[in-house]
Amino acid sequence: MAGIIVRIAFRAAACRLILAIATVTAALAAPAQSAEPRNLEVLGTWYRLALELVRHTPTYSPPVASRAFAYLGVTAYETVASGRDGFATLAGQLNGLTPPPVREPGRDYDDAMALQASVSLLMESLFANTGPTGQRAIDAIARKLDAVARAGVDPDIADRSTAYGQALGEHMLAWAAQDGGAVVENMGFPFRYELKPGPEHWVPTSTIGQQQVPLLPDWGRNRTFAMPDGATCGLPPPPAYSEEPGSSFFIEAREVYDVSLSLTEDQEAIARFWSDDPMLTPTPPGHWLAIALQVLGEKEATLEMRVDTLARIGIGLADAFIGCWHDKYKYDLVRPLTYIRRVIDPAWQAILITPPFPEYPSGHSTQSGAAAEVLTNLFGADYAFEDRTHDDDGLPARKFDSFWHAAEEAGISRLYGGIHYRAAIELGLDQGKCIAAHTNALVTRARP
Amino acid sequence: MNRLLLAMASAAIAVLANGVAGAEPAVPSFVEETASDGISTVYSGEWEFMVGGGAAAFDCSGDGFPDLFLAGGASHAGFYRNISRQGGELRFEKQASGLELEAVTGAYALDIDSDGIKDLVLLRVGENVVMRGRGNCRFERANEMWGFDGGDAWSTALAATWEDGADFPAIAVGNYIDRREEGFPWGSCTDNWLHRAEGARFAAPMPLKPSHCALSMLFTDWNRSGTPSLRVSNDREYYKGGQEQLWRIEAGAEPYLYSAADGWERLRIWGMGIAGYDLNFDGYQEYFLTSMADNKLQTLTKPTPGTSPGPAYTDAAFAKGVTAHRPYAGENVKPSTAWHAQFEDMNNDGLADLFIAKGNVAAMPDFAMEDPNNLLLQKTDGSFAEAGDRAGIGSTAISRGAVIADFNLDGMLDLAVVNRWVEAQLWRNTGLDNANWIQIRPLQPRRNRDAIGGWIEVKRGDVVMRREITVGGGHAGGHLGWWHFGLGGQTEAQTRIVWPDGEAGAWEELRAGHFYTIERGRGAARWQPG
Repeated sequence: MAGIIVRIAFRAAACRLILAIATVTAALAAPAQSAEPRNLEVLGTWYRLALELVRHTPTYSPPVASRAFAYLGVTAYETVASGRDGFATLAGQLNGLTPPPVREPGRDYDDAMALQASVSLLMESLFANTGPTGQRAIDAIARKLDAVARAGVDPDIADRSTAYGQALGEHMLAWAAQDGGAVVENMGFPFRYELKPGPEHWVPTSTIGQQQVPLLPDWGRNRTFAMPDGATCGLPPPPAYSEEPGSSFFIEAREVYDVSLSLTEDQEAIARFWSDDPMLTPTPPGHWLAIALQVLGEKEATLEMRVDTLARIGIGLADAFIGCWHDKYKYDLVRPLTYIRRVIDPAWQAILITPPFPEYPSGHSTQSGAAAEVLTNLFGADYAFEDRTHDDDGLPARKFDSFWHAAEEAGISRLYGGIHYRAAIELGLDQGKCIAAHTNALVTRARP
Repeated sequence: MNRLLLAMASAAIAVLANGVAGAEPAVPSFVEETASDGISTVYSGEWEFMVGGGAAAFDCSGDGFPDLFLAGGASHAGFYRNISRQGGELRFEKQASGLELEAVTGAYALDIDSDGIKDLVLLRVGENVVMRGRGNCRFERANEMWGFDGGDAWSTALAATWEDGADFPAIAVGNYIDRREEGFPWGSCTDNWLHRAEGARFAAPMPLKPSHCALSMLFTDWNRSGTPSLRVSNDREYYKGGQEQLWRIEAGAEPYLYSAADGWERLRIWGMGIAGYDLNFDGYQEYFLTSMADNKLQTLTKPTPGTSPGPAYTDAAFAKGVTAHRPYAGENVKPSTAWHAQFEDMNNDGLADLFIAKGNVAAMPDFAMEDPNNLLLQKTDGSFAEAGDRAGIGSTAISRGAVIADFNLDGMLDLAVVNRWVEAQLWRNTGLDNANWIQIRPLQPRRNRDAIGGWIEVKRGDVVMRREITVGGGHAGGHLGWWHFGLGGQTEAQTRIVWPDGEAGAWEELRAGHFYTIERGRGAARWQPG
């Protein structure tokens, strides 16, 4: 972590130059007509659909979902920022992102039409693998939003904006294609994988045939967005494996076991609220994206604030999963389910489904730490909110005093659920905070 | 080749007789007769027909040979009269029957009015229709006559039972999503219905709330209480807050949904088909549940002696080798998509085998496109071995529903499979000459003629093989007629019926290689075609 501050300072200096250039460019362009409701409907509806498709597209495990959110956010941001004074492009700040197409100086554009073109292109591409119902929904929403965006817009402006949005979207897709995460086969489970020998290492925890190998073992090598690479916020090793009573490892496992035997109603509710199972929920990164959308709605945020927030939360989440996965496969630690049944109680059951990959650090903790840090940077350290992500699934809303309050609850939920030891949670949150610092250092717009 | 297979089969049966655990089962040999069978129905249509595609096998001509009805999706459904000869090639003749409706997703046969002639319930995108059998394979709409409200939904599942003392069956219909929702159909599962009897007609359908997009339903007496419960397998793609379901349905009482408080463990899968069979001869059904990428084989957690079992199951699919999660041949990286499932003894060795129809939802790139149908043969240790390719039924068409029945009454079970966008396929089992079998058809004198809800028990060596007589399960279709048991080398078998009200008939010694009707109060009578 030692080099973080230096890199951030360098990047901030570079961004000041970019900001100046972008400001001049934007000033030359005539502003598109005011159309906040159309803009917000286009953006909000596509994001609502993205949260559904993440849940209903089998490729979309949590790391894959976080990647999609990052590209969607950056695309929406660049589409809007390109037409605004005082907004910087993220090109040059995000790894591998070259300057995107710019709007023609002196010509009018409509943001809603441009957003509709760029974001719909991303949606069609990122969710190309979704099933027939998802494809039907993408088509239906595209038709509907095209009509919404086009309403009252001069046809020439509409066509120009569409062309611009498409060009920008294609630029983003070309960037995304090279990050190492574009192709996910067999729902992320490698066809061949050799388990590491030794009792400290991960072994399958379910009888699901596909999950006899771990999920996405190479995800930690993907190109990151704002931080240099997957090893940037690397963690120290977990407590040394031991089956000796009194050892740190045994004590941590015993804690998981003991908590499970005396789980309170509230602890179980917490475990289930943050369970965020793939294919049954929007996944953990979708949960935090849903929180961000709820907050933006509550604050009746402007389009500019929305795209800035969505870009940052997407980037922070995506980098969190790459960093977390890097360390998961570096340490390849055995899950509590395996250890406790081996050493403490052969009949033990965790209340949550143990995810099919190594234990340390906790993915939900890392990404929750990153998300909380990003949102705190945008909305403040004491922003209280009610999380209604799971209303549709019948799970009651939960109230939090701050984003970190929520992140810490998300982290400890994994211990209550019996799927993580305490070290993976606490250090995972730390890792997320470190990763988010790179996102928070991105320069997007001038703030007071 | 056939001689080689026969030799292998003989060897395997000899091994079975010696009781060697885990011996490789004999592989039956199938001949595909699609080109000459006379069947031309295609399950067609786009999004609204991505599920369904059921087949129903039942005898409506009275000659004992199972006739065949196939859902047609956006096209007309097809009825085919069986004109095969005993032991001969499979031959069907398309016949105008009155069943040729459009928008049919599936169908199940049952004798609703207990007149001795099979009726048919057609599941549809739109109004469901009950078709009264008039004899000689002619049918007429009977919704109005029987008070059956067919509704207007995307119907995809059915199960039927006779509640205590009822003149008519209780029919549960499973419904899928709201087909009118385009942009956000997730979470729009529409209500399932329970059509209960009201005298000799149906009462207004009762919604079974909550409903979670059912793709298969089965009335089954899972705990041997004497009253079947309703198992519902649901598609997690569309529900929110849903799971697999088990309803206690008792005559005169409101349906009761089992919950965690009763021991019912939450299971959330892309549930598409249910197959039940007492695989381990303990008197309780095992249930195979089809899904995408991962299928389940549920076995009841044994109760402590002297107590009633709770609805708690463990998944034995991995241990028994029936996860069937990816293709066993050809392209083998991507996961499978499983639909109809049916347990039947395909090699007559006395152990139920498992057929699974496979096929991509449409062209989902995350799942195998070349996804062969499975034939998992049970071994003597209770595990299963894949034999779909060796048996010759490993079609990679996009399959949906299927039905296994002895279409040419030679004692060896044949197979019909409904495919999306291409013609249905038919295979004749040319199997194993020296493996014995018996086929039973129970008959009641008045209500519930086919004894739905009863059990057939056949002794084989030290075990009692049991089959529950059901209407439902599979994927959008099934069979009603002869109930088949393989007997291995056994030449006789003690057999009895446990009738739906729990009364057990007398054990009767029946000779292998024959068909028997067992009429309540009158005992077994040998039956032969012609």
